[in-house]
This record gives sequence, structure tokens and C-alpha cells, in this order.
Amino acid sequence: MKKRGVGMGCMWYGVGNTGLPNPAGAHVDILDDGTVLVLTGCADIGQGSDTALAQIAAEEIGVRYEDVRVVSADTGVTPDAGATSASRQTYISGNAVRSAARAAKQLILETAAEMLGVSQEEIIAGDRLLKVRAASGKSQAFTDCQSECRVGLGLDSGSDTREVSIAEVIAKCRMKGKLTLGHGWYNPDTTGLDAETGQGRPYATYAFATQVAEVEVDEDTGEVTVLRVVAAHDVGRAINPRNVEGQIEGGCAIGMGYALMEEIKLQEGNVLNCNFATYLLPTSLDVPEIYPLIVEDPEKTGPFGAKGVGEPALIPTAAAIANAVYDAVGVRITDLPITPDKILAKLKEKQNKGA
Amino acid sequence: MDKIKIQFVLNGETRQVEVEPDLLLIDLLRERLGLTGTKVGCGEGDCGACTVLLNGKNVNSCLLLAARVNGCEVVTVEGLGSYDKLHPLQEAFIAEGAVQCGFCTPGMLLSAKSLLDVNARPTREEIARHIAGNLCRCTGYTKIINAIEKVACADRHCACSREAEEGR
Ligand code: FES
Ligand code: FES
Repeated sequence: MKKRGVGMGCMWYGVGNTGLPNPAGAHVDILDDGTVLVLTGCADIGQGSDTALAQIAAEEIGVRYEDVRVVSADTGVTPDAGATSASRQTYISGNAVRSAARAAKQLILETAAEMLGVSQEEIIAGDRLLKVRAASGKSQAFTDCQSECRVGLGLDSGSDTREVSIAEVIAKCRMKGKLTLGHGWYNPDTTGLDAETGQGRPYATYAFATQVAEVEVDEDTGEVTVLRVVAAHDVGRAINPRNVEGQIEGGCAIGMGYALMEEIKLQEGNVLNCNFATYLLPTSLDVPEIYPLIVEDPEKTGPFGAKGVGEPALIPTAAAIANAVYDAVGVRITDLPITPDKILAKLKEKQNKGA
Repeated sequence: MDKIKIQFVLNGETRQVEVEPDLLLIDLLRERLGLTGTKVGCGEGDCGACTVLLNGKNVNSCLLLAARVNGCEVVTVEGLGSYDKLHPLQEAFIAEGAVQCGFCTPGMLLSAKSLLDVNARPTREEIARHIAGNLCRCTGYTKIINAIEKVACADRHCACSREAEEGR
């Protein structure tokens, strides 16, 4: 008989190692035509860091996303950004790019202030324009606004009519022989860990997540079908919500494989199942319906409040599925993957005890 | 080994090549003809990264001898769209966020095309079944299926696009 069950898994995961130095750098060059060139060592392996870093640079400087060109992970020209690992790049390289963009923007602001005849603090930037903020105080400075509105929302409304375009300001800079280059880097405070005990403050921040899985277990065959996974992830601030969803969906699929099918079989150090016919990955027919839920609780030290989501997305899935299996048929499998033979053995054990 | 002369249509263009009898189609495409859009994942028919269309059907080019395509029509991802004008499936993959690392993408696109060419309005279930031979490690498949569904809907004014238009 087929039985259904629901289970939950929770996790927290460190983002931004502080046990050892963990820096990333970035260069930003605002070119003559207003194009923003970002150089970063951050390798985009599909997680979408090029996109997120372009958004961060655009938002910081006040241009559009499509004005930004990212050159990434070219050791001939890009500054070191460390590894794309540990779910660290949005947080660490994001901060580095933001600080480089801020440095370049500072040069623009100096010239714009002269052109507009106001102080730099009175200028807000957005949508390729530098505007004088309204004196009435009915609005916040753009820098305040940035930390409070979603990246990409753009301008706050309280400006008076005086404005110059970023392209005009750049032209003025060039007339004075001034280039608009910025560089920046970020390293979460290295706290170190106790050499003896390994204790200390190992991460700059933490990501949190809860996932709920619904499964169907066939008591006759031991087969588990995952029907649905709801995955709620606190990412601080989703720089690109669709990419975050993609990370969550992919993570749930990997987590589901980890729970039910993926296992490296070793014999005297040799891998016995080194192809996709014997080491099984979830296919499009195996993955459940996945409902990603993005929770945003801005991280003070993150770029526009962002943390990381890459690895967290797959961490609670197996636990949620194992709990759902228990809920469905009342047996606890404590070693992964949860294969049909393990379930049948446990069910038999349970039956024998009952008899 | 004597070479074999073959002629086939590749991405709409007639090609004549001489191939060793044991040359695989994937190696002809990538190594000989420089079409590296088609990927090699496993080399043994398990992952679908090497998918191309052979007379309109999705096949694993790592399992086919090049000589086998004599007289046939082959489409690779390079023949699907151009930089200036992407194929609607490529547009939809971008719009829906169906590409992460991109390694499965060429094969996915061609498998999707082979489905839509014979079944203009597949259900999600049919889409999932059709791309089950194309492994993706990154996306969890949801957005890939969304993208394929989107093209099917846009093309054929199916029920769900009508519903969207009517704002239901
Ligand atoms: S490379 Fe052909 S199926 Fe994997
Ligand atoms: S996008 Fe990476 S394998 Fe599919």
C-alpha cells in the first residue's frame, strides 16, 4: 500500500569564513559613454554572480543594469576574489564590487557637485542621472534609500529639477583629465579560531532555511516518491530573486538525490559506480514540485543586505525527506541514501517486533 | 583504415566530409567541424549533453558513428538560432532563468525542439518525460520545463496563454 507523509528539515549555514583571511577585490571603471566596466576575480560557474555583481554596481552608481559590463575570472586582468565556494561570492565579492563602485562614483559626485553648485550630499543618483535632492527633506538621501529598497527599484522621488546626466559628468571629468576609476576589496573581519579547541567566531553571518517535503512511500516495494518540497530561505536580500529561486530549485533537486539515490560505492579506494548509469542523479521525472520561498531579513554587513544561498539550498532537503518517510511508514532511516531495500528491511524489522 | 565519404545536411548546409569508419558524430562535429556548442558529458549515452537532431529526432551524438548520418539532416545548437535572432526556445530559456552553468542547455534546447515539432501543445508531464534523458545538475528542471511550456503556449494560443491574456 502507498502511504503519504510530511517532514520538515531546518538548517543554518555560515557565510563568509572568518577563521582565516577571506578577501575579494574588484575594479570599476566608468567609461566615456557611461558604460560601467567591472573587473572581478569571481568565477561565475552558473550561480549567476556576473548578473548579481552587475546589479550591485548599477545600483551603487546609479546606472542601468544593461550599462554594466562584467569581466570575471580572467587571471590576466581581474583582481583576486578567492574561490567560488562556501556560498561566499555574493556576500564577499558583492561587497568588494560595491566598494569599488562607490569609489568610482565618488569621483563623479565631486564633479557633479561643482556642475550643479551644490554639495555632494545633496546629490542623488539613479537611472543615469544625478539630481539635486529636494530641500524640503520630504525624502531620504539615495544612500539611505538603497539600504531599504530592493536593488533595481531606482530613484527616490524627492528631487528638484536640477540634474545632469552621468554621461555629461564624465565628459566634464575627461575635459579635466580626470579618469573615473575605483577599486575596492572586502574581507570579513578575520577573528581566527582557537588553535587548541577550534572554537571561535567562524563566520561573518549565517543563512537560515526550513524545508518541508511530502512523500509517498510504497510499503510493498520500499520506493519513495517525493511529491512536493516547500523551501523557505533567508537570503538577507535577494539581489536577483529569479536567480535565487533557481538556486533553491536546483539545491532541492540535489538534496533529493542525496536523500534517495546518490551514493558513491567504493571498493579498496576504487569507485565502482563512476558513470551516470550506476551513479544516479535525479532526472526531470524524479524531481518533485518545488516551491521556493524567499525570506528577506537584510544582513547589515552584506551588499544591500545580501547573504548567500548556494549550498544552503540543498542542506535541509534530505532531513525533510527522511522525516517525511518516518511520518509515512513509521521507520527511521539514518543513513543515506534512503533506498527501497533499507526501507523494506526496517519495515520487516518493525513487523517482526510487533508480531 | 579506409575513409568513408559522406554527404549530409548540417544546419541547413550540405557538407561533404571523409570520415574514419569509427569516428563518432560528436567528434566529427566538435573536433573536425569546430561546432563546440554540442557538449560531451559522459560519452556513453547517459546524460544527453551531446543531443543533436537527426532527421528531426533527438539523438545522442556520442553513440552515433559519423558515417551513419550519410544522407541525413543534422541540426546542432548552432543551427537553432543566431546571435542576432535567437530561436524562441533560446529566448524563453533566458527569460525564464532556465540556464545556470549552461552545460545541459544545448541538448535541452534540441530535445525540446524535437518535442514541440511533433507535439505543439505538450503537457508539463509530457515535457518532463521527453527531456528525461537530458540530465541537469543545476536547475532542478522547473525553469527548463517552464521555458518549454512558454514556447508551446505562445506558439499555439493554448488555453493557458489565453487565460493569461484574459487576465484570469
Ligand atoms: S555525452 Fe552523449 S549522452 Fe552523455
Ligand atoms: S544548467 Fe548546469 S547542468 Fe543544466
